[in-house]
Amino acid sequence: MSTDILGDMRTEYGKSLVELGEQDKNIVVLGADTTDSLKTASFGKKFPERFFNVGIAEANLVSVAAGLAYSGKTSFASTYAIFLPGRCVDQIRNAIAYPSRGDKKGLDVKLVVSHGGLTVGADGGSHQQLEDIAIMRAIPNMRVLIPADSTAVSKLTWTIAQQYGPFYMRMARSKVPIIHNESQEFEIGKGITLRDGSDCTIAACGITVKLALDAAEKLKQEGISCRVIDCFSVKPIDKEILENAARETGAIVTCEEHNILGGFGSAVSEVISETYPVPIRRIGAQDMFGESARDNEIPELLEKHGITSVNIANMAKEIRSKK
Amino acid sequence: MGLNYYQIKKNVLKARKLVIKGTTAAGSGHPGGSFSMAEIMGCLFYKHLRYDIKNPEWDGRDKLILSKGHASPGLFSNMAVSGYFDESKMETLRQFGTTLQGHPDLKCPGVEFCGGSLGIGLSYSIGNALAARLDGKDTRIFTVMGDGETDEGQVWEAAMTAAKYKIDNLTVFLDRNFIQQDSYTEKIMPLDEHLESDELSEMWKDASRWKTGDKWRSFGWNVIEVDGHRIEQISNAITRAKSIKGLPTIIIARTIKGKAVEHMEDNPQWHGKAAKPEFVPIIEEELESQFMISPSIIAGDMTHLENEVKRCVDGRADYIHLDVMDGQFVPNTTFDNEKIKELRPLTVIPFDTHLMINEPVKHVKDYIDAGSDIITVHTEVCDESSFGEIYDILKSSQVGVGLAINPDTDLPTWSEKFISSLDQIIVMSVVPGKSGQTFIESSHEKIQKLAQNLKEHKFDGYIEADGGVTLDNVGACFTDGARAFVGGSAIIGQNDVRVVIREFRNKILRSRRKLLIQKANELGGTDLVNKWIDLHVVGKKKDELLQISQELGYQ
Repeated sequence: MSTDILGDMRTEYGKSLVELGEQDKNIVVLGADTTDSLKTASFGKKFPERFFNVGIAEANLVSVAAGLAYSGKTSFASTYAIFLPGRCVDQIRNAIAYPSRGDKKGLDVKLVVSHGGLTVGADGGSHQQLEDIAIMRAIPNMRVLIPADSTAVSKLTWTIAQQYGPFYMRMARSKVPIIHNESQEFEIGKGITLRDGSDCTIAACGITVKLALDAAEKLKQEGISCRVIDCFSVKPIDKEILENAARETGAIVTCEEHNILGGFGSAVSEVISETYPVPIRRIGAQDMFGESARDNEIPELLEKHGITSVNIANMAKEIRSKK
Repeated sequence: MGLNYYQIKKNVLKARKLVIKGTTAAGSGHPGGSFSMAEIMGCLFYKHLRYDIKNPEWDGRDKLILSKGHASPGLFSNMAVSGYFDESKMETLRQFGTTLQGHPDLKCPGVEFCGGSLGIGLSYSIGNALAARLDGKDTRIFTVMGDGETDEGQVWEAAMTAAKYKIDNLTVFLDRNFIQQDSYTEKIMPLDEHLESDELSEMWKDASRWKTGDKWRSFGWNVIEVDGHRIEQISNAITRAKSIKGLPTIIIARTIKGKAVEHMEDNPQWHGKAAKPEFVPIIEEELESQFMISPSIIAGDMTHLENEVKRCVDGRADYIHLDVMDGQFVPNTTFDNEKIKELRPLTVIPFDTHLMINEPVKHVKDYIDAGSDIITVHTEVCDESSFGEIYDILKSSQVGVGLAINPDTDLPTWSEKFISSLDQIIVMSVVPGKSGQTFIESSHEKIQKLAQNLKEHKFDGYIEADGGVTLDNVGACFTDGARAFVGGSAIIGQNDVRVVIREFRNKILRSRRKLLIQKANELGGTDLVNKWIDLHVVGKKKDELLQISQELGYQ
């Protein structure tokens, strides 16, 4: 376990933006006094005229980004997760997702945030966004991506720059283990089967994908064959891969660093209940807020919310008996 | 585009009527805030905003962002008048399946912003302005915000951002109508100062108590304050704003919510309510009965005409009547185009130039160059050919066109082909030539007949009564059908021009109220008269209406 290679999502995001900026002069980047942290400042150094730091004013950030997009720019607006969907859902809804003309649904704004979920750690519950998937998923025209590692972030930054319309992409604060190969392709609306299995499925997003893989390895040692799917595209979600998993493995455990109400687990449950109903268990914050935890204590914080590989494995075993 | 004062005014009237048409058909909507910004919209749509109705996404266009999205009828009505869509479409406002949504929406080609949630439009405008700068385009962004809207904290986030980025390709209007949904802004969330009573008028008059401009100045903005119902002031402010480099400009337009329909004016009830269909014909009559006061400066000190112009400005005249006499068409001589050119920089109030000269066709160009907003020539010294020439020159120079007739003259037959596109017809109610004469009584009948005749010929300008108009007869002249009133000795000859102009307005208002009560009676008898009177809940209007109604024997 300790041999995992770690990657920093924000660094990859910042690097990709600079590369994109070189290729496409229509890319503009906006920040709200967190540009060093989000690693977008490097874009600002390279392209100062296309970089706007609007100060601690997130509603303004989002709406200025919308205006730039209406005039033909591709806007990347970034700050911490707690301040984007949490603080300005109205502006995201009305200034970005709602305005549509002809085939163009919503404006071309990419909301890329960092510090999603409990792993924010020390800053505490006020800064641990556990509701963003639920909020963003409910807004028409908005697509929601929760990448699992820095490789996914790097590739998805390019993908969303090249696809018209609003996206929300959430990154983690801490460095996370790299689980994807450089050659992995990421297609919006498609899940990735990381590990095949026949007894049950673990569908996960974000940093919990790694926990899912660890759980599957544990279960293998107990003779249980477990499929693991990285559902980085929470919306649109890959109905086909989920339905097949239900049909072929008969039970699904979902896993997310988010409230289980309205989040990724809910999205999976909606699909499965309408396609091929099988037992489902949702791992995530159990309708609770987070709290402070220093970096070395984050595993304890996650454990309090049941977001561990051990709990995932236990859930998988329990749910098999319900098949 | 680039229309003159009169054409803008006519289009503003058309747009106001369409606001009533749309909101009444919908049974809901926001006439109050549509009317307070009506002149702002008029100046943008018909003079300053660059757009192409056939190609709404034309790359070279300016962008109009209606941040106070609830005033969508005020936007859509002007889009209809401009020709984006047929005027009849206004009746689909708020209907299922329409592109004329309750709040402006990109579904409607030509709309640039999905308004509705307040406080977003300024930030969005900044984004558009920055994009234009990045692309090296000379696009101008015009944004209209409500005053209540600026309660939103995001507005001030945006205000700082615009100053930081020195956004000078953006002109913002603050529609300062003093009313938000619940009540007066100064009661709900004061922008100037907290209001304890319902008496707005004291604060309104006292400019030293206005602090809204200071707020914006302290945020690093160039602030221009105007009367938001004066086309000439708005237009001038837009021109000045364009020339300001290095900082954003906000034009604080002091306006009246519900402006132009008395019972809606300054009444918070009309923020978001539609007129009932039974009142629509009366409201239309009221809208068509707007009037203007035009003091004639030759009644003052001819050696200090500059001072007379200043007195007109202080008196808040609608326009300034300039009687040019050449000593040939009339015995007297007054001044010529050179004098007008000297007076022009003193004010933006429209110059109503009345040429009492022979062979006007030879001189009209000089009076255009001097800065006239409208030029009126006498039928007695024109024929079809020479007036046709004058007409063409004036039209192509975007100057209003007027025809004048002497007391013993009627409109000649040749003038009929021009009537529907004339801006003004001056009926001389004295023999022209000097100031201070007595009104010729038969002029009343003449104006009445003329008004009827002009209506049949689709005249949509103003009949101006000129000569001997006083406080005693101005109300009757209005009833006759005159809508502009030249005041010589009765205004300029008085000590306090401001007071006397206000008295003129009150006299005319009384006649207008009478006209509307008669209209109500004609349409629905005493019942409708009383319902109409009951609408007038703000101020003392209702008392006067009841009195008029009693005088007419309707009570």
